[in-house]
Amino acid sequence: MDLGEDVSSLFGKRSKTSSNSTVNRSRTKGAEEAPTIFNQKKCIAWFRQYSTPSSPDTIGPEGVEMFCRDLNVEPENIALLVLSWKMGAKQMGYFTLQEWLLGLTDLQCDSLAKLQAKLNYLHSLLLDSSHFKSIYRYAFDFSRDKDQRSLDIETAKAMLGLLLGRQWSLLNSFFQFLDQSRYRVLNKDQWCNVLEFSRAVDVDLKNYDVDGAWPVMLDEFVEWLKVNRGESNIQ
Amino acid sequence: MRIRAFPMTMDERYVENIWSLLKNAIQEIQKKNNSGLSFEELYRNAYTMVLHKHGERLYNGLREVVTHHLESKVRQDVLASLNNNFLQILNQAWNDHQTSMVMIRDILMYMDRVYVQQNNVDNVYNLGLIIFRDQVVRYGGIRDHLRHILLEMVVRERKGEVADKLSVRAACQMLMVLGIDSRAVYEEDFERPFLSQSAEFYRSESQRFLGENSASVYIKKVEARINEESERAKHYLDESTEQRIVAVVEEELIQKHMKTIVEMENSGVVHMLKCQKTDDLHCMYKLLGRVADGLRTMASCVSAHLREEGKALVNVDESGANALNFVQSLLDLKDRYDTFLGKSFVNDPIFKKMISSDFEYFLNLNLKSPEYLSLFIDDKLKKGVKGMTEQDIELVLDKTMVLFRFLQEKDIFERYYKQHLAKRLLLNKSVSDDSEKNMISKLKTECGCQFTSKLEGMFKDMSISNMLMEDFKNHIQTSGTSLYGVDLSVRVLTTGFWPTQSSATCTLPLAPRNAFEVFRRFYLAKHSGRQLTLQPALGSADLSAIFYGPRREESETKEKADGPSSSTPTSASANGPRKHIISVSTYQMCILMLFNTRDRLTYEDIMNETDVPKKDLDRALQSLAMGKPTQRVLVKSPKGKDILPSSIFAVNDSFTSKLHRVKIQTVAAKGESEPERKETRSKVDEDRKHEIEAAIVRIMKARKTMQHNLLVSEVTEQLKSRFLPSPVIIKKRIEGLIEREYLARTPEDRKVYTYVA
Repeated sequence: MDLGEDVSSLFGKRSKTSSNSTVNRSRTKGAEEAPTIFNQKKCIAWFRQYSTPSSPDTIGPEGVEMFCRDLNVEPENIALLVLSWKMGAKQMGYFTLQEWLLGLTDLQCDSLAKLQAKLNYLHSLLLDSSHFKSIYRYAFDFSRDKDQRSLDIETAKAMLGLLLGRQWSLLNSFFQFLDQSRYRVLNKDQWCNVLEFSRAVDVDLKNYDVDGAWPVMLDEFVEWLKVNRGESNIQ
Repeated sequence: MRIRAFPMTMDERYVENIWSLLKNAIQEIQKKNNSGLSFEELYRNAYTMVLHKHGERLYNGLREVVTHHLESKVRQDVLASLNNNFLQILNQAWNDHQTSMVMIRDILMYMDRVYVQQNNVDNVYNLGLIIFRDQVVRYGGIRDHLRHILLEMVVRERKGEVADKLSVRAACQMLMVLGIDSRAVYEEDFERPFLSQSAEFYRSESQRFLGENSASVYIKKVEARINEESERAKHYLDESTEQRIVAVVEEELIQKHMKTIVEMENSGVVHMLKCQKTDDLHCMYKLLGRVADGLRTMASCVSAHLREEGKALVNVDESGANALNFVQSLLDLKDRYDTFLGKSFVNDPIFKKMISSDFEYFLNLNLKSPEYLSLFIDDKLKKGVKGMTEQDIELVLDKTMVLFRFLQEKDIFERYYKQHLAKRLLLNKSVSDDSEKNMISKLKTECGCQFTSKLEGMFKDMSISNMLMEDFKNHIQTSGTSLYGVDLSVRVLTTGFWPTQSSATCTLPLAPRNAFEVFRRFYLAKHSGRQLTLQPALGSADLSAIFYGPRREESETKEKADGPSSSTPTSASANGPRKHIISVSTYQMCILMLFNTRDRLTYEDIMNETDVPKKDLDRALQSLAMGKPTQRVLVKSPKGKDILPSSIFAVNDSFTSKLHRVKIQTVAAKGESEPERKETRSKVDEDRKHEIEAAIVRIMKARKTMQHNLLVSEVTEQLKSRFLPSPVIIKKRIEGLIEREYLARTPEDRKVYTYVA
């Protein structure tokens, strides 16, 4: 029962690590402590701990939950988002085998311990602004309902809180604005522009360019904020 | 041995002699005793002196002699005459001086040519001028007195008194000449004080004129004064002063007070406009045109008043609003101002532009303007327009097009125009196809083909329908199919061309329903892929009706009224049954046919059996039961103006009319009701969304990438002939297109969009 070869034949092409695994088989078996070279078969076996027999190539929400518990990380922890991004996971709450392998191979982790050791690294990716932007944009597609084009507002708020909670002081104001507005979803353009806004516009809104091609929602947010701060005459 | 050059130097004595000779001669000339002198001799002597390098001596000597003469003789004479013929004496002295200087110059011409040239000093004549100027004319007392006298002359003249013009003119010319190559002497000694005195004079004149409190009088007086000063300058001051003095008058009388004049109550621009005083306006126009911003001041006053007038016409309240009056009053207003433009403002582009922008401003204040305009045109294109020839109508329509150009929401107009055209075509109300097509071509010129292609489609449908009916009639004849006693006429409308109607159906009476089925089968046999939907709201019917009751004013006895299937001979007697043909709408037909089988029906019954939408049902019943007595085919009980579900309707057996054919007028609301208007508006907004998006896509497809602001202004530019989209709305549409992945923001600059192929 050579799982490695079964799976790789499914994918139809050899991954880079397949040659490694043949070497590995002769050397280590079941060793977890010593820093070993990445073993794809092991990785897949690890995957199977969380998938169900009825859908062996997909980890569902319960599996993900278990995975998080084992990893000692809350599901809302942003590291999980970064991991999903690494995997290119399409849908929040689900990992396919392909995604799993892609991400964990990149991280060179085939065991919980190794992954735990990489958690800090995952967090550090957020500090790089272009990685962060990529992760941020990814978060939209990741968290939306696949038959909708837009992200419902509650999920959006949750994700925004996760991503921008510590770095954008206007986030709470933005939430208040959304609550009192008629907006029930956020589309991708609006989502991406919120990040730009948080980076480009000062808290006092003085450098907000009305002709700056911001989405109408953000124009309205600025207007609302000004009124609320008593800076605007418009009722 | 020393070789000497030819003795060019003369000895001093010889020179002295020559000079004495010349000096003497000059003095004689100055004393006007020149007759005994020999020109040739004197010339030669002067020549000799200059040749032997004594030019300087000669020159200085000349200066001395002239100065002495002017100082001790001439000046004294002039001073003596200060209070006695001063100007004449001065002028005389001047003339004498000129004459003698000419002679002196002639004698000393060689010196002029050689010494003067070489040493760059003033020539003889000019030297004389300078000395005369400094020693006589500009000598303290003389200078002041000269100025004083000249100014006094002007004052007298302005008062209308007589003044010695010739002397003044001579004096002015003298001053001009004394300036040698400039007019500085004239300017300093006369013109400047003249202008400043004039300014003061006109300052108080302006107050005087204003005191008369009449703008037109003021203007005439100003014109008169300007002419006067012009003449004066031309004829007896120096001509070059004309421009300057006129400028002073303009400044004091016009520039400083133009606002006052323009805005003068009961005589200013507003008054002139109200009272049609085209000539006065023209005078004011000419006057104000003289100063910078004069016309603009006038134009803004006219504009303000026009806007007020326009606003008043346009802000009619809901209940009083009448489309025809609305438009007619605006046309009249435009006519009035066009007259002003032509007659008073000589088609000045400033005024033309301002009038146009004012009309555009207030026409669009009333959101119903597009609808009213369409109704007005509708009225002129319908049959029965009273008192207007074809040319009159043509003229009016052209003028209406001018108003149309000012509309900002042309797409709303288009919608209403289609609706009204549809009604005209379907109810056969057009005066003529030609006049309709004429109007359409006018609109095409203004708006392009897109606007008119659907309208033309409507016409095509009409003519196709006519041919169709021919075929159908033949078909019926040849096949012998029964049409259930109905003389059917069908018009087939292509959905895209005609204004969309809510396709409410109703329950047709049996005969017409069956007849239509025959047609439907006939049509679908020809055009199998199509779908036909009956539009009851647009149809009409002619019913043959018999009223059995006695005529009106007599007691009522209710009897059955027969439908079209039975025929009872008409009797002409007053009490016999009366036959009429009643022209009604389809809905009304449905209602009336019910009474063939029932005597009386409640409102609710009627509603249930006909399925006519409530709004239309109410209107139909109102026309049938509550209109004029000659229209009241039904009676309603209880009487009163409300239609309740329990109201009972029955045939009005006493119905009488002088006409055999009675047309039931629909109690039509001219123009839409509020909910209808809201619906139209929301449809228009929907259309606009699509038009904006189409424009965005069109532009982006061509340009590939474009910056946000540029895109917004391009879109506005492209759509402005239909309506004015706001930048916010355009932005919303852009976002919509981003969401649907027609556009994307470029990664480098989020303000730049790119077209996604």
